[in-house]
Amino acid sequence: MGRFSWRWGKRKGRTGLGILLVCSIGLSGCAQGTAPTASSAENGQSGTALTKDELVLAVGTEPEGGFDPTTGWGQYGSPLFQSTLLKRDAKLQLVNDLATTYSVSEDGLEWTVTLRDDVKFSDGEPLTAEDVKFTFETAAKSGSVIDLTNMADVKAPDDRTVVFTLKSPQSTFISLLTTLGIVPEHAYGADYAEHPVGSGPYKLVQWDKGQQAIVEANEEYYGSKSAFHKLTFLYLDEDAAFAAAQAGTVDIAAIPAAFSKQQVNGMTLEAVKTVDNRGIMFPMQPTGAKSGDGFPAGNDVTSDLAIRQAVNVVIDRKALVEGVLEGYGRPAYSVSDDLPWSNAEAVFMDASLEEAKQILAAGGWVDADGDGIVEKNGVKAEFNLLYFAGDLTRQSLALATADMVAQAGIKINVEGKSREETKKMAYSNAVLFGWGSHDPLETYNLYSSTHKGEGYYNVGLYSNPVVDSWMDKALQATSEEEALPFWQKAEWDGTTGFSYQGDAPWAWLVNIDHLYLVTNGLNIGEQQIHPHGHGWPVTTNLEEWSWDNSTK
Amino acid sequence: MTGRNGWARFVGFKMLRLVSLLVGVSVLSFILMQFSPVDPIEAYIGGDMIRVSAEQRSLIEERWGLNESPTERLLTWGQALIQGDLGTSMIYRQPVADIIQERFMNSVTLMAVAWLLSGIFGFALGVVAAMRRDSKLDRLICWYCYTLASTPVFWIALLLLMVFGVWLGWLPVGLGVPAGMSADQVTWGDRVIHMILPALTLSLTGVASIALHTRQKLTDVLESDYILFARARGERGFQLFRRHGFRHVVLPAITLQFASFSELFGGAVLAEQVFSYPGLGQATVQAGLRGDVPLLLGLVMCSAIFVFTGNMVADILYRLIDPRMNEELMS
Repeated sequence: MGRFSWRWGKRKGRTGLGILLVCSIGLSGCAQGTAPTASSAENGQSGTALTKDELVLAVGTEPEGGFDPTTGWGQYGSPLFQSTLLKRDAKLQLVNDLATTYSVSEDGLEWTVTLRDDVKFSDGEPLTAEDVKFTFETAAKSGSVIDLTNMADVKAPDDRTVVFTLKSPQSTFISLLTTLGIVPEHAYGADYAEHPVGSGPYKLVQWDKGQQAIVEANEEYYGSKSAFHKLTFLYLDEDAAFAAAQAGTVDIAAIPAAFSKQQVNGMTLEAVKTVDNRGIMFPMQPTGAKSGDGFPAGNDVTSDLAIRQAVNVVIDRKALVEGVLEGYGRPAYSVSDDLPWSNAEAVFMDASLEEAKQILAAGGWVDADGDGIVEKNGVKAEFNLLYFAGDLTRQSLALATADMVAQAGIKINVEGKSREETKKMAYSNAVLFGWGSHDPLETYNLYSSTHKGEGYYNVGLYSNPVVDSWMDKALQATSEEEALPFWQKAEWDGTTGFSYQGDAPWAWLVNIDHLYLVTNGLNIGEQQIHPHGHGWPVTTNLEEWSWDNSTK
Repeated sequence: MTGRNGWARFVGFKMLRLVSLLVGVSVLSFILMQFSPVDPIEAYIGGDMIRVSAEQRSLIEERWGLNESPTERLLTWGQALIQGDLGTSMIYRQPVADIIQERFMNSVTLMAVAWLLSGIFGFALGVVAAMRRDSKLDRLICWYCYTLASTPVFWIALLLLMVFGVWLGWLPVGLGVPAGMSADQVTWGDRVIHMILPALTLSLTGVASIALHTRQKLTDVLESDYILFARARGERGFQLFRRHGFRHVVLPAITLQFASFSELFGGAVLAEQVFSYPGLGQATVQAGLRGDVPLLLGLVMCSAIFVFTGNMVADILYRLIDPRMNEELMS
């Protein structure tokens, strides 16, 4: 029935509906074909509406668990009703929010944060260090997606100071300070998720479950005010969101790439850069290894460096972006392209058949029997590439990649599998995965040998002591700036790393743009590079949004 | 045996059936969920997969009691249920009873409207088709019913959405209330307008079976000897139908209509998805996809009671309308 939706590998499964909708819209396109200048006429019409201070948004799925940051609300984009200690600006640089300063002890174990003293919750009560302590303790106990297992203790020695003690040094702890919204101890109870009180730019007015959330500006907010007094978030499926955009009900709607070719009167398509990436994970060990859960691991073909590098270099990533993503994306060369901790030197010239052939020949792979597939020691360069069945984008990427790689003499058998099958087969077959996070911890979890074969962490059992030591240094750093060069060196330090030039345990393919239909004249400011997953990140910079009368 | 005693026995028997049915479906659903490939922890974590450590995973497991053995979990759930506690939903982090109550009110109105409409129109169409058998009108009705009977609900829903929501712009494209309107401003009119498309979808598809069934039944009746006799006396058209046909076809129609509760429920799930209508359907889809066992069991029991009630009402009505049934079955 095709209505499956997962936050991970977002909703590409509902092709039946999608195609149907596109077809029906195609018909409507014909019907409206008599008005070629419709969009310019629409601009003039909407001129009168450009002063309104209310917006209707259909930008993501409902947080069913409610608006409680201690159980996961606000992990994607801004928590909106609450504020965080720190936040990231459009360039993903750290800036203060509730904090005025923070420092980390020499050994990386003690984090001290000093708070602003002018912050009030929307109910008028002041926000103190006790609230921060309470928030982190509650989140640690909640058994939710907030992972605070490395936090040993949090103390509030005075009203404006919070001290976190960690079990082991972790420079990525900063991500928790940028995403965990602070809740008020005095107003926290069993129904907090439905009636949040916080110090964020907005307060919740009404939540119609399964339908919409209506929010209004918080007068007590200490930061710069948004131009919009009232926002209505509609929880619509992507199909329904698109229909709502066509019907003129919403000011901004998140849509899948399949709908991007359709013009919507009065709205402009905005493509936002992301690290919502797709890439091929290679098993790094020869056949015979075992994963942590005892599944067979390793692959004799992909464990050969020459194969992995040849696959990497022969892929024409620009062609994938044009052909599969309709141009809405950009080539991917790492798990964290353009994020502060990625290494620009790890980018390379791809789409080179010549180079791929040289690499294979140098690695001892030759096509002796003339069947178009290279061999080495009697082993044919042939392996499976798995993707989650039902995900059209992943399927197209896998098939297109297999075609490109075949030219170099490597045969890839593309197979769609269920998530459950994939989980068992992933350790011994190449898999098309998607990641991308605003937290460098993701890099650590994907490449560190301490996490070999642990669930979805380091599925390929990659292990390189030099990379490990760079990443350990990065974790032990006392600030993010100090950690950045270490992360970059783990990727490529001139001699080794997890990039293409080094061990190439992955072949990254593309980063997928997130698409939004935006009402003409609405300026959504400079957007951050969005992480994996759709939707809410677009609201991170709400205070920058405005009606833009001067352009267009 | 007196009538009253018979009724008591009948109801008692039905209640016993209901209880065993509930035990059966909940245990079966639970077992199916155990075999389902959905890993509830993974589904719960969703997109944060790579940022949640093994240690945190086991905390989540512990928090939701997923580390216990299936039998233990089922027993704990059953014990709580006997005390009237349906448990807490993993994804909504709310008591299951609250969620069902909230959602049920929305769904029930929607289904009731669709059910009435499809019943009335289906019956009327069936009667007209049979009375005018082999005419153009009959063929048209049959064509309509066959087409509808083989059309997926969500497809009709999308079609209606495109035509009335987007092209014509007459009706809202989704939700149960107007966007951005505070609760105290929402009128009954608003709710009705938002219900039109989903209810229309459901009743359009519901019409087919009842119309075809009624047509067939009435055709049989019209070919009988007593109709021939009535015709010979000069009775024609509506009078003929009212005097000799109606009673014969209304009973099976009513039974069929009540028995269609299960299809109604299934259709509502799909229609609610398309129209983002906040009923039980949405919650059921979420619960199934994300391995939320307590919520799913709650919903399964709720729908079982719903369908069971439908069938029981059909049974009772049968007996009330046709007393012969009573004598036959209860003596």
